[in-house]
Amino acid sequence: MANPLRLYLTCIRNTLEAAMCLQNFPCQEVERHNKPEVELKTSPELLMNPVTICRNEAEKCLIETSINSLRISLKVKQADELENILTKKFLRFLSMRAEAFQVLRRKPVQGYDISFLITNYHCEEMQKQKLIDFIVQFMEDIDKEISELKLSVNTRGRLVATEFLKQFV
Amino acid sequence: MACFERASPALREILFKIHGAERPLEIDHHVHEFGSVHFHVQSSASDQPYTYLSISTPLLSQGHPISSELPQHTLEMVRGICPDVVEIVEPSREGYQLTLKINHARIPHSKASTKMITDISSVQAVILSSQLKEILRNVDSYEISCGLYKPIKLIYHPREPFFVIKQPAKITAVFPMRFKEKEDVIIATAFFQELMDVGSSGACTKAPHCIWSPIPPPELRGEPIQDLSTNCGFVSFDITSRHVEGKKLDKTVWNLLNFYAFVKYHVKSTRGFIQRRMRMRLERLVQPLQTAEPEEDQPVKKKAKGCRQVRKWISASKSKILKRKYDFTNKIKRIRSRIKIHGFGRFRRRWLTMPKFSPVTRYIKLE
Repeated sequence: MANPLRLYLTCIRNTLEAAMCLQNFPCQEVERHNKPEVELKTSPELLMNPVTICRNEAEKCLIETSINSLRISLKVKQADELENILTKKFLRFLSMRAEAFQVLRRKPVQGYDISFLITNYHCEEMQKQKLIDFIVQFMEDIDKEISELKLSVNTRGRLVATEFLKQFV
Repeated sequence: MACFERASPALREILFKIHGAERPLEIDHHVHEFGSVHFHVQSSASDQPYTYLSISTPLLSQGHPISSELPQHTLEMVRGICPDVVEIVEPSREGYQLTLKINHARIPHSKASTKMITDISSVQAVILSSQLKEILRNVDSYEISCGLYKPIKLIYHPREPFFVIKQPAKITAVFPMRFKEKEDVIIATAFFQELMDVGSSGACTKAPHCIWSPIPPPELRGEPIQDLSTNCGFVSFDITSRHVEGKKLDKTVWNLLNFYAFVKYHVKSTRGFIQRRMRMRLERLVQPLQTAEPEEDQPVKKKAKGCRQVRKWISASKSKILKRKYDFTNKIKRIRSRIKIHGFGRFRRRWLTMPKFSPVTRYIKLE
């Protein structure tokens, strides 16, 4: 892993470790309801200050924490138009299969490419450290996957172009 | 949209069916292919062994003087497909540009028939190729008469026109590229950039020089605005005499006619490739999350509640129980024979009587 990326991911990991201390907390507005406060934002006293970690303008992470839930939004780098469509296509593909990830939000937060919502129930069902590992691993994998996809599309195009031009010779 | 295969698949299928039939068939089929080609195949039992094939195909150049009917050299090329089998009917049937009379009796019932029928099915490709060939050949005289290098607009498909421009030492074919979706535009643009790179690299030095530009080339100045408005730029191929000499002419013409189809096919298959790859990666991405879940609880052995001694009794087999009962009774008998305690009989009946256990496996009938 490149050094700047490692620093960025370490920073996110540390922030997540600090933020992920969630507890069961019933809704203060509606009796017998238990909702993620980070989504509803009904009681400001239950919310913590959101943290934005930026690697650069195109690549950043927003961590919003509340008493019973945590929302992580990611913006993935898109250097050119091809990366842009590949990222959009891939992240949309994943969002449409959000049930496989359990913690993936179907719609990303405004201004970000993909969002996760972790509630206290997720923390009870899964190991906290592994959840953090998953988020960090996901970020690494997405970057790698987009780069590989772009390379594959260009290589494929080059091969097809060569075959087409060979027909004239 | 054109088909990479020269032979029309539907037409070939019909001709094979007629040729392979044991009894004469009554066939009257209308086949529309690629959105603009119309075939009419007619075969009657009374007129055996002849089949009539009529073709209506869009002519490439609509503004060119040759566009009104099929030129003589095209008809010659059609005659040359299978001279013994195919005969041109004149005049052609109404609404069609060409009618062919196919004599099935002269098609052998062997492997050679496959090649012959495939050749006959590719008649549409022959017509279109011959038109482009003729345009390329006659371009000089046309320009000389006009005195300028005017682009010739060729319409192979109504939505996909392209231009051929004769220049001093080359012929330039310009393709305005349009796609419906933005995603297609980006994939195609990446492909055109690769096409330019490959064309200028050492690997394909003999291939036509290829240029992609987001704006129309200067040669197309003066053309109608609707022809020059694209969302994916313009691809130009510089065809020199090297590419049109001898047998290469046929290949070059066919490649130019199919360039749109080729690009669209590449875009479509690239989209499929991306989708397949994403599907493959999904499982790998989910995997770390699956390990985050604590290991599933081992099935807990349900402990039987109650006194350990009683459990021991219950779990014992029937023979063991009987043996124990026998031993215990004997022990009591021995006790009874030696010492007599007053009231022990009642104590014995109450506390030392063997309980009656039913085997665990036996069901209790519910009342």
